[in-house]
Amino acid sequence: MKNRTWLAYVVFFAVLAAAPLLLGRYWVDVLNNVGLYLILALSLNVILGYAGMFHMGHAAFYAVGAYTTAIINTHYGVPVLWVLPVSGLAAALFALVVARPIIHLRGDYLLIVTIGMVEIVRIALINNVFGLTGGANGIFGISRPEIFGFRLTQPVHFFYLIWSFAALTVLLFSLLENSRFGRALKYLKEDEVAAEGSGIHTARYKLAAFVLGAGWAGMCGTIFAAQMTIISPESFNFLESVRLFMIVILGGAGNIPGVILGSFLVMGLPELFRDFADARLLIFGLALMVMMIVRPQGLLPPRPRKHNLDSIRELS
Amino acid sequence: MEQFFQQLTNGLAVGGIYALIALGYTMVYGVLKLINFAHGDLFTIGAYLGLTLLTSLALTDHVGGFLGVTILAVMVMGLVGIIGILLERIAYRPLRQSPRLSAVVSALGASIFFQNAIMLTYGAKFYVYPQDLLPVMPVNIFGLSIPLMRIIILAASVLMMIALYLFVQKTRIGTAIRAAAIDQGAARLMGIDVNFVIMIVFFIGPALGGAAGLMVGVYYGQINFTMGWIYGLKAFTAAILGGIGNIPGAMLGGLLLGVVEALGAAYISIAWKDAIAFFVLILILIVRPTGLLGERVAEKI
Amino acid sequence: MNKIAGWIAIFCLLFAPALFAADPVKIGLMGPMTGSWASEGQEMKQVLELLADEYNQQGGVLGRKIQILTQDDGGDPRTASLAANRLVSQKIIAVVGTYGSSITEATQNIYDEAGVVQIANGSTAIRLSEKGLKNFFRTCPRDDEQGKVATATIQKLGGKKVAILHDNTSYAKGLAEESRANLKTANVEVVFFDALTPGERDYNAILTKLKGADPDFVFFTGYYPEAGLLLRQKKEMGWDVPFMGGDAVNNPTLVETAGAAAAQGFYFLSPPLPKDLDTPEAKSFVEAFTKKHGHAPKSIYPVLAGDGFRVLVEAIKATDSVEAEKISAYLKSSLKDFPGLTGTLAFDDKGDRVGEVYRVYKVDGEGQFVLEP
Repeated sequence: MKNRTWLAYVVFFAVLAAAPLLLGRYWVDVLNNVGLYLILALSLNVILGYAGMFHMGHAAFYAVGAYTTAIINTHYGVPVLWVLPVSGLAAALFALVVARPIIHLRGDYLLIVTIGMVEIVRIALINNVFGLTGGANGIFGISRPEIFGFRLTQPVHFFYLIWSFAALTVLLFSLLENSRFGRALKYLKEDEVAAEGSGIHTARYKLAAFVLGAGWAGMCGTIFAAQMTIISPESFNFLESVRLFMIVILGGAGNIPGVILGSFLVMGLPELFRDFADARLLIFGLALMVMMIVRPQGLLPPRPRKHNLDSIRELS
Repeated sequence: MEQFFQQLTNGLAVGGIYALIALGYTMVYGVLKLINFAHGDLFTIGAYLGLTLLTSLALTDHVGGFLGVTILAVMVMGLVGIIGILLERIAYRPLRQSPRLSAVVSALGASIFFQNAIMLTYGAKFYVYPQDLLPVMPVNIFGLSIPLMRIIILAASVLMMIALYLFVQKTRIGTAIRAAAIDQGAARLMGIDVNFVIMIVFFIGPALGGAAGLMVGVYYGQINFTMGWIYGLKAFTAAILGGIGNIPGAMLGGLLLGVVEALGAAYISIAWKDAIAFFVLILILIVRPTGLLGERVAEKI
Repeated sequence: MNKIAGWIAIFCLLFAPALFAADPVKIGLMGPMTGSWASEGQEMKQVLELLADEYNQQGGVLGRKIQILTQDDGGDPRTASLAANRLVSQKIIAVVGTYGSSITEATQNIYDEAGVVQIANGSTAIRLSEKGLKNFFRTCPRDDEQGKVATATIQKLGGKKVAILHDNTSYAKGLAEESRANLKTANVEVVFFDALTPGERDYNAILTKLKGADPDFVFFTGYYPEAGLLLRQKKEMGWDVPFMGGDAVNNPTLVETAGAAAAQGFYFLSPPLPKDLDTPEAKSFVEAFTKKHGHAPKSIYPVLAGDGFRVLVEAIKATDSVEAEKISAYLKSSLKDFPGLTGTLAFDDKGDRVGEVYRVYKVDGEGQFVLEP
């Protein structure tokens, strides 16, 4: 990655860090949602953007993480943020189990299976599966997170928690994008057979992408549970998955700056249109179509990789 | 045992509607490889247009129930078909050469737009079709009493499926549709007007969805602006189950999904009914990755 | 340049009235303006705006106009939390709403921390008022109250083998479980307990299974769209069994969907409808609403929102203040037998509505809701 991109990220996060000074609690809360969905969308981007698998059920992994957090916190009193890695692991494990048999499905068949998965998870949550999820009521009374004795309660506190995590996510996923693993995923997206022929174990890589994306979404669930203090099944329905899907495709699948822009648009626009009252979603739908037509590749599609031939020669 | 057969007919009635909507999904997908997520909302538009025409024209008062509803169905299908053509022109055609998922997002945008447009035009309340448009008399088949409307729905679905199948297999335009479905570029070289073919497809698919909307209105009575979402999702599931792009597959998928739901509700749990249906779908796809009647696509080498 | 001048002109036009009038008293309305429950939210808005207009024509309160600020909660907790933060930053002094319990719950902390009085109108879950929040009220009764009334009514109507059907929403399931527990202690057999999926059209599979359990009384705790379809399809099946609904079925759409013949004899529990109250307040309200919108309010919850709004105004008038503490204290201790649209209103220390609210209604042959004696 070029230095210029890194500089852009630094400036972007620095400006954001100052934003709460100027904004009221409502806009800070809007930004919290944008940040949360940015992290989720980046984790989906690994599956949908890099590996090119049609995955429209990401909310299921997010739900597993959030419910793991809520159950462990309310039953055993473990501080919420300590559960973060456990939630990530739980979601990753869940992904490993469910994705294994379906990973070989192509395109739209995978799409409907992932939709089915998110619906099954939601129905299971509503039906109070294992007597742990609280049914439609969900789980309430999740404790507020504490960092070094400081209790996070206000939107602005969560702002810094969420956006620090978002910055970390951007950093790690940028490194991932250019790693051997990231390049392998992009290769198998472009041409699965050729990738297989070049010695990439495609099924294993695809599964790894699923597990990684799911695990990250699971951790995001922890933050969501901590912020809301109540979680219920309707926060993890198919529509949330669709929203994440739209963020990635609209922004530019496989490009991190694109996903950042996408999350601002998909999560921010309906809020900007709030004053249109009951027409706000109509305008949002229209805006989605128009943006897609104007920029069919997504707003900021990934640029083709350029390789410096000299450096390759030096290596060999 | 009687309950089993009763549930079977319950499932077939629901499945008939799914199948009709699934036919539209499958038509569009076959040619454009596009999942038209706005299809469920075109179904809703059909239901609303049907009600508006029904109350404003009062056809059924003049010419009687059956003829009135039939004329109404033709009108609704025509109107929804035109909306379908416009939708394709505006929201999908500019994206035809783009990555496939871009068109999917555009379709999702169109779905949100339609749903809220209906809400703003008609209001958010539930609308109800006039009662007893068609006689409810139960028909006795093998000792089971089945409401006439259910038989009409199922028969209409099957008839439309057969008509569509013959249209695609036997007519010149149908041949063009099949050609465009296989390879648009080659079809164009053979002198087929691909844009015209796509227009036809986007007339027929939404028209079938609109007809399904009208049927739901006439039979179940109650319609509202969010109903297309649930039906659309189920019909999409049905289309995939049967093998998307395949016309008899959509029919089979729809009926099977309806029956699985009814039997799942009856013998396992009502609350888990949808989860059971999706679970069966996943199992079937694991065994047959391209659906029940889907063609095995050779991996490109 | 012209463009900028134009924008400035628009802004001036928009905000000019605010510069000249005294600061209005801002009261928030949080309700589902989009999504599945949009019809409830939109009617809540109509009711509150009508009432606010009436007050404003009489000069408002404290010599100031009342302004209603509406925000959409979309029937979803996350959107609701945004709506609540938005309202708080618009400096409202109190908020009316919302409909769903889990939606209300997602916003309770936000209003509480901001010192805003919240009066929910449709959130019946018990736990909402058990948290010790100072400024939380509701005009609707709680699920446990309705559970008791339901049990008593079922026994009175002679149910021996009862089937309970809910729809897995927070509200309906709460009521269903509450009723099942009460029926068990009353030694009434519950032969069926399950949930349908709301939003579907065909419930024949469920009715067939229900019939197989052979109950002599069915209690459906869900909402009116499904209740209407159940009644219609039950008639089509030719199954004749007494059917009762909870207070979420109270909507004329029920009868429209089912048809008068299928709905006849259907019982339901509800706070009294405005038409059944002889108070002058209720009569003039229904009249004014009908004049403006062409029909009486369709659902009871918007009317309960109206009551929430009216007690707020009453409290502001009586305490001559817009401070949350004073308003809450007044509502809890001083407000007694306030003539509401849905009957007399008073609140206990938890902010719950005091008094017997539920009535039993039965649908007659013309599809009218008739109060059972």
